[in-house]
Amino acid sequence: MGRIGLALRGFFSLLLHGELSAPLLGVLGLTRRGGASRPAPSPAAPPAVNVSDGALQMLGILQRDSRLIDFLMEDISAYADDQVGAAVRDLHAACRQSLNRYVTLRPVIDGVEGTYTRIEAAAQTSSQVKLLGNVPAEGSVAGGMLRHKGWRAEKIDLPALPRGGDVKIVAPAEIEIE
Amino acid sequence: MAQKYVIGVDLGTTNSSLAYAAAGAGADPHQLPEVLLFGIAQSINPGEVGELDLLPSSLYLPGALDFPAGSLALPWDDEPPFLVGRLAVKRGVENVSRLVSSAKSWLSHSGVDRTSPILPPNYPDPERRLSPVEASRAYLEHLQHAWDWKMPDTPFFEQQVLVTVPASFDAVARDLTKRAAEEAGYRNLILLEEPQAAFYAWIERHPDWRERVSVGDLVLVVDIGGGTTDFSLIAVTEDAGELSLERVAVGEHILLGGDNVDLALARVLEQQFEGRGTRLDTMQLHALWQQCRVAKEKLLEPGNTEPEHTVTILGRGTGLVGGTIRLKLAREDVERILLDGFLPAVSSTDMPRRVRRSGLQELGLPYASDAAITRHLACFLRQQAAGAEHGSVRRAPSGLACPTHVLFNGGVLQAPLVGRRILEVLNSWLAAEGVDAARPLEGEDLMHAVARGAAYYGLARQGQGIRIRGGIPRTYYVGIESSMPAVPGMAVPLKALTVAPFGMEEGSSLPVPDSEFGLVVGEPAEFRFFQSALRKNDTPGTFLDEVGEELEELSPVEVSLPATGNSGRVVPVTLETVVTETGVLELWCVARDGQRWKLEFNVREHASG
Repeated sequence: MGRIGLALRGFFSLLLHGELSAPLLGVLGLTRRGGASRPAPSPAAPPAVNVSDGALQMLGILQRDSRLIDFLMEDISAYADDQVGAAVRDLHAACRQSLNRYVTLRPVIDGVEGTYTRIEAAAQTSSQVKLLGNVPAEGSVAGGMLRHKGWRAEKIDLPALPRGGDVKIVAPAEIEIE
Repeated sequence: MAQKYVIGVDLGTTNSSLAYAAAGAGADPHQLPEVLLFGIAQSINPGEVGELDLLPSSLYLPGALDFPAGSLALPWDDEPPFLVGRLAVKRGVENVSRLVSSAKSWLSHSGVDRTSPILPPNYPDPERRLSPVEASRAYLEHLQHAWDWKMPDTPFFEQQVLVTVPASFDAVARDLTKRAAEEAGYRNLILLEEPQAAFYAWIERHPDWRERVSVGDLVLVVDIGGGTTDFSLIAVTEDAGELSLERVAVGEHILLGGDNVDLALARVLEQQFEGRGTRLDTMQLHALWQQCRVAKEKLLEPGNTEPEHTVTILGRGTGLVGGTIRLKLAREDVERILLDGFLPAVSSTDMPRRVRRSGLQELGLPYASDAAITRHLACFLRQQAAGAEHGSVRRAPSGLACPTHVLFNGGVLQAPLVGRRILEVLNSWLAAEGVDAARPLEGEDLMHAVARGAAYYGLARQGQGIRIRGGIPRTYYVGIESSMPAVPGMAVPLKALTVAPFGMEEGSSLPVPDSEFGLVVGEPAEFRFFQSALRKNDTPGTFLDEVGEELEELSPVEVSLPATGNSGRVVPVTLETVVTETGVLELWCVARDGQRWKLEFNVREHASG
């Protein structure tokens, strides 16, 4: 491509599309930075992200760090309380630690349970507050007894899923090589 | 480029850490810049990188079947050749044959070739094994990458870096540490002894330290880490009306620490398990060891009076509750093992037992054969009496060195019981000598004090704080064979020529008088090399007529004059000793025309010989 041709194509490309076309970039020896205005369609379709992936990953983490799934899937009816208690103390500490690491949980209403608490009208129409007892058929209520503070996951910070891993494997089978 | 930071690196046996401070004088010359701990990015789970204050000094050689592809990626390396840090420890428990640990202890082990690939010892493929130097290098490289990733505007290699070594490291181990750092690309490197670093950390935390010690005081630094115990003595002296500090003695290298205590406790519980007819597998044994550590720490926490702590080993397989075994670790047992086993109330004349080992010994670390830390301490304080005077060491009539203060460092000392016991035993010795009791100096942040202190020392070197004078903590000798007729069946008598005096300062050099000899061009010449922590008054050029018990042999040193046209020619040379600014001892041969050749430590020959 001649200099004039290149200049004109560059000019019109910028004028009409606001960016240089891919062939022009190639000729000029340029590469597009990440975060360009329009993402180029990738050659292969990105792997489909399933909505349940995050949930399975969380199960996997809780099993890996605290063996929560082993505990929940085990029939513990035959064991005495102190046997269950012995196992659960460790499990609880580890489970709590990984929950805190990946999810930031805060109360929905930071009040004192068992006391009268005012609630904003906006909160009532959403899923933030569940009204119990003598709930009026319509309108709104000014407040009531706080029975449960509720939990809100303010932040979820899960690590990236491994490429090519099967997220359905909550815990891999373990085989020891003698 | 001007250095923006001083960086202190605590390259530990089990954990490493990094602290840093802004270099250069601030607005107020009396206000030292704050020393900050650096969060070290590392793999903490497959596919997950997190920042921790400590980088476990463990390295795992991942195989193709170990982790999903790409899940070990670090922000600065998509496919690291090996895994360093937290995840290496986690995975290493499950596959111990691929785990390198305690590389630092191997670095100071003269019984093996420390530059040959010997770690992990049980790893089947020798091609992929690492030498202790390479493993240390991997940790140092990781720290550098973690820094550069987080602080891209102030490249690591452009900052002043201080790496700590145990005071008990000899010239060879220090040289190998320097080599590991240089191979990792470190420049502007200074080595610093760990107990000194702990003392600097104490100074940093106590700006009024001058009111807490006075001239004539002697501070004993007791540093008990996971795998090693290190003693140093620091004397408080006076220089031009100002308080001055001098490190006057260091102890031997003792491979004994908190891990040994945890292992001893685990053994007690293991016997209980066996009593019930339960056999634990490797994973459960490891879990037991970890649990014993936790239980010990809980029981020994200040204010805890519980008579026992429950240790739970979860069932293997999917049966979690059903297989759970619960045992109790009794306070009595912990105290008995710790106090009677590791810190017995001995007298100051009790010396550590040296068990003669059988001739053929499995290749492994030379762990201390006597677990009693107090006996090692007695030996250390007694030895200072045996040696000649150097600096001002406060002594009792019997010659026992008498500290006025004790500074504790290392994770084990987080249990107040340990420090209290050591002080009790020490003070019983002092009372028997009719000397006033020693008092503890309150240290803080025992896990990170060394890295902090190292960063403080970096500032002190720039004139922003007090420096501990010390120099090299030993006297060094080369062996010279006596010119006597050989007698069959007898080794040729060996004389020792002093080449480096105790306390020789960093950044100085000394010619060795009366050391002229001929070197043959083109042929390597090797010298036997010795050290002594006890003989402190030998000056360079002094001959010892025999190599006695006080001298300890190190790896030999060798020099080879490059073969030029006239090989076979004999060049007369004299020896010169240099202690570099980095803090490493070097020996040089100097010809009459000023040409110089460096003597290198030959760790390879020594191992096979």
